[in-house]
Amino acid sequence: MRRRILDIVMWSLFGVALALVVLPAIDIIVGILAQSAGSWSPELLFTPTSGVAGGLLNAWTGTLMLMALLLIMAAPIGVLGGIYLAEFGSQRLAQILRFGSETLAGVPSIIVGYVIYLVFVVKFGWSFSALAGGIALTIMVIPYIMRSTEAALRQVPTNLREGGTALGLPPSLTIRRVLLPMALPNIMTGLVVAEAIAMGETAPLIYTAGWSNSLPTAQLIHQPIGYLTYVVWTYINQPFSQAHQLAYSAAALLLVLLLLLIGLGRLISARASRFNDRFQV
Amino acid sequence: MATHLEKLSTPGRKDIPVEAGEEFGILDRVLRFLGLAGAIIPTAAVLFIAAVLLVSALPSILFNGLGFLYHQSWNFGNFYSSATVTHNGIQAPTGASYGALPIIIGTLLTSIIAFVIGVPIAVGSALILVEKVPPPLRRTLSFFLELLAGIPSVVYGLWGLIVLGPFLAGHIYPILARLGAIIPWLGPPVGSGLGLLTAGLILAVMIIPIVASTTRDLLSQVPVLPREGAVALGLTSWESVRLVSLPWVFSGIVGASILGWGRALGETMAVLIVSGNGANFLPQNIYSPVSTIAATIVALLDSAESDPTGLAVSALAEAGLILMLITLATNILARLMVRRVSSTSLPIGRGV
Amino acid sequence: MYSKRSLWTGMLIIATLLATLLAGCAPTSTTQTPTETQPAAGSTSVPVTGGQGNPASPVTLLETGSSLLYPLFSAWAPVIHQTYPNITIQTASTGSGTGISQAVSGVVQFGATDAYMSDSQLSKATGIINIPLAISAQQINYNLPGITTPLNLSGPILAGIYQGNIQYWDDPAIKAANPNANLPHEKIIPVHRTDGSGDTFIFTQYLSFSDSAWNSSIGYNTSVSWPAVQGELGAEGNPGVVQTLAQTPYSIGYVGISFLNEVTSKGLGTAALKNQAGSFVMPTQANISAAAAAMVPKTPKDERVSLIFAPGADSYPIINYEYVAVQTQQSDAQVAAAMRTVLLWAISPKGGNAPSFLDTVHFLPLPDTVAPLSQAQIAQIQ
Repeated sequence: MRRRILDIVMWSLFGVALALVVLPAIDIIVGILAQSAGSWSPELLFTPTSGVAGGLLNAWTGTLMLMALLLIMAAPIGVLGGIYLAEFGSQRLAQILRFGSETLAGVPSIIVGYVIYLVFVVKFGWSFSALAGGIALTIMVIPYIMRSTEAALRQVPTNLREGGTALGLPPSLTIRRVLLPMALPNIMTGLVVAEAIAMGETAPLIYTAGWSNSLPTAQLIHQPIGYLTYVVWTYINQPFSQAHQLAYSAAALLLVLLLLLIGLGRLISARASRFNDRFQV
Repeated sequence: MATHLEKLSTPGRKDIPVEAGEEFGILDRVLRFLGLAGAIIPTAAVLFIAAVLLVSALPSILFNGLGFLYHQSWNFGNFYSSATVTHNGIQAPTGASYGALPIIIGTLLTSIIAFVIGVPIAVGSALILVEKVPPPLRRTLSFFLELLAGIPSVVYGLWGLIVLGPFLAGHIYPILARLGAIIPWLGPPVGSGLGLLTAGLILAVMIIPIVASTTRDLLSQVPVLPREGAVALGLTSWESVRLVSLPWVFSGIVGASILGWGRALGETMAVLIVSGNGANFLPQNIYSPVSTIAATIVALLDSAESDPTGLAVSALAEAGLILMLITLATNILARLMVRRVSSTSLPIGRGV
Repeated sequence: MYSKRSLWTGMLIIATLLATLLAGCAPTSTTQTPTETQPAAGSTSVPVTGGQGNPASPVTLLETGSSLLYPLFSAWAPVIHQTYPNITIQTASTGSGTGISQAVSGVVQFGATDAYMSDSQLSKATGIINIPLAISAQQINYNLPGITTPLNLSGPILAGIYQGNIQYWDDPAIKAANPNANLPHEKIIPVHRTDGSGDTFIFTQYLSFSDSAWNSSIGYNTSVSWPAVQGELGAEGNPGVVQTLAQTPYSIGYVGISFLNEVTSKGLGTAALKNQAGSFVMPTQANISAAAAAMVPKTPKDERVSLIFAPGADSYPIINYEYVAVQTQQSDAQVAAAMRTVLLWAISPKGGNAPSFLDTVHFLPLPDTVAPLSQAQIAQIQ
């Protein structure tokens, strides 16, 4: 009887926990949508900012560009690094590198941004640019990707690896054909969370990407770039209600982009798990 | 599974030439090398950042000495007077003195609150999400977790300032303050809702998605077999979670929690907006204004850049360095604490 | 088979998707510059004499710094582009200190700042000049339920509040200045800016110039070491101060005049401040102009001067020049010419100093007699 009661108590507590996670999220999201409701129009999406008014075209395209740069740089580094930590590295080395990575996660984004500013923007003379911003974001989120890749691989039952070894498969093949597919959904979650965190960052970008009212171009250095979080951060500090509305619209647009990103991640995960179902032990 | 591996090793399929061992030897080495390169990058970056900070912090370390760690006032001095003071060969504006104790304490306290509140909530909600919530609803709610990770910290800060702070100060803190008779630092005054506890709670909301999304993924991967065994033994679902699922994913949760802890330590904008900024004194109770190292850096970097002697930026760099040391020290501590509960006894991971 | 592909092609799909999305958007409408949605309807796009006119080829100028000057510069940028199609200005709001330091390092052309640079700052930054573009002011706001007429406050009273020597609203010093007000016995909650800012600079300068104790113990700066006062609060940015004041009864704080409309809509009180002549004055346009006029003769050639605590019976005591810090030696002659053009347009009453721009942020134009000083400084940019 006591065990049943404990069971009910624990699950009720977890239910409360879930409510505590979901309610603030709903409140924040509804707040953003309500505040931005008045300003949704095609112009919002398809004209660039002008002064402290206008649309958000330059901002959302810039955010997408930064996200693409981030994906190209951070995903391979993080995933490969995670594979190494989980499958190859000697205990000692892996532990040191893991420490390094976890310490990096604790470095305030403003410090990452300022160091990138000193090195790339000023020393290398790149000026404010998409690439400098992308590098700052990459350095910030690699730990998250690496951690989730490593954790995902570590969860794969050992007997799968042993099976691979028993069949004489080289580790790289076992990793590619057996372990990565098994771990893929979790790796995707890590990638999505990393991109999401980067998408929501402001501080490191102000010093590296700068800000621009023009659309992003293929020129990765010597040209500043716009992004949605700048609008949120700066326009909310303007003395005009019109600017505030644009700030909330930028936050809402950010949510939409996030939804698309998460959806895309889910799609890829779903394909992978259909494959994994055949593996169920 | 066995059938799949058989398929892989079926001879004659040209995309899987298993017998060509050397070729894979090279592939193995390439993957190993690329993996090592990827794994080294974050550590190299952190060392590089630390080196840059150390070089910039040197003047401040010389000027302030150990007092930086226990003094309670953060004073840039007068940038507009031509008079300067010199100490240990370092020039500074008159009146400059730097003590980081309040922001070091503030950083630790806000992060501890965030950790103590955030991690159980994250793990608990992940558990119920995986074990009890029906799949369609689970997918929707999971969406929220990842969405929370991407909300700009500015938005969290504004929400804390406009919604959460006044709500807590009006409805929750007065009730909590009655416990002040038993636990003194919970006692009044409760202030305006901007301060230590509010900052800790906002940070908790911010680290939950990191911990919860990883925990959720790991839990959904716990093999069915041992759990069925637990049910067969007549365990309740909580007992099967406690005895089977949680140990299975424990090391993964620890890893995610450490990242969450790191994020709490390093978060800037949101804390800046809701902390009430008490950079020159220690908190008197849990509602008192505080400031953190990261928030101080982002708030004061702009002013610091106009210090003609450059000492102000140097002092902020030293604060940043201390923050990195705190992160490193707490990570090592966490590792030492969880070393006993090793996951190697479970049939997962690389094996021996 | 899925296995290998799902990960790597998955990533590739995302990357190419994003890339094509970008490619699809990039070449469109770079020339669009809608102006009708501007807070300041930019109808005054008359080329200004004395400048170099439209440059022969496109020039992009970067501006960063003061968040008070940011809305003004941002409103100017599209109109300047319309007037001189080859000039594009990118503005950013980062803070005055950043503005100065990035102008010094040459990363940006215009570093906007609320505070003029000190002698010692200039000695570390050769070739930098400070050019005033407009005049701003600051109001002292408070949340005092039940009090509707403006309170009279002075520098020493405010210094006492921010040092913790004056703790209650019915303190004898406040009562003496407001004999008719029904002041409550409630604790005063002083609110200051957490972030370094020009607002803190001019506020603490007012306290320093009017209260010698404050001057010797704390002084003035863009960020000062605030004395520990029970209940005090820090807030981020001007909107943060307004919000904190609005939701914290019995609080007091300082807010840039640009935020006049927000302050009014939140129902906060605005104090009349004691000026050098001893009279209590409100931050009205007339009183700000009076103070500016009184300080014009004291403005030196390099225009670095504090306008705080101006003499004159009507002078409002907390006003300041909004500056732009620029390098006089530019590596590119065409960039230098474009900079001169922009700045001359900005200070012209037909250009950037027109009421249609300044009124939105409640700034005042440069006095006629100061404009020539700015013009002379602008001519130094080569």
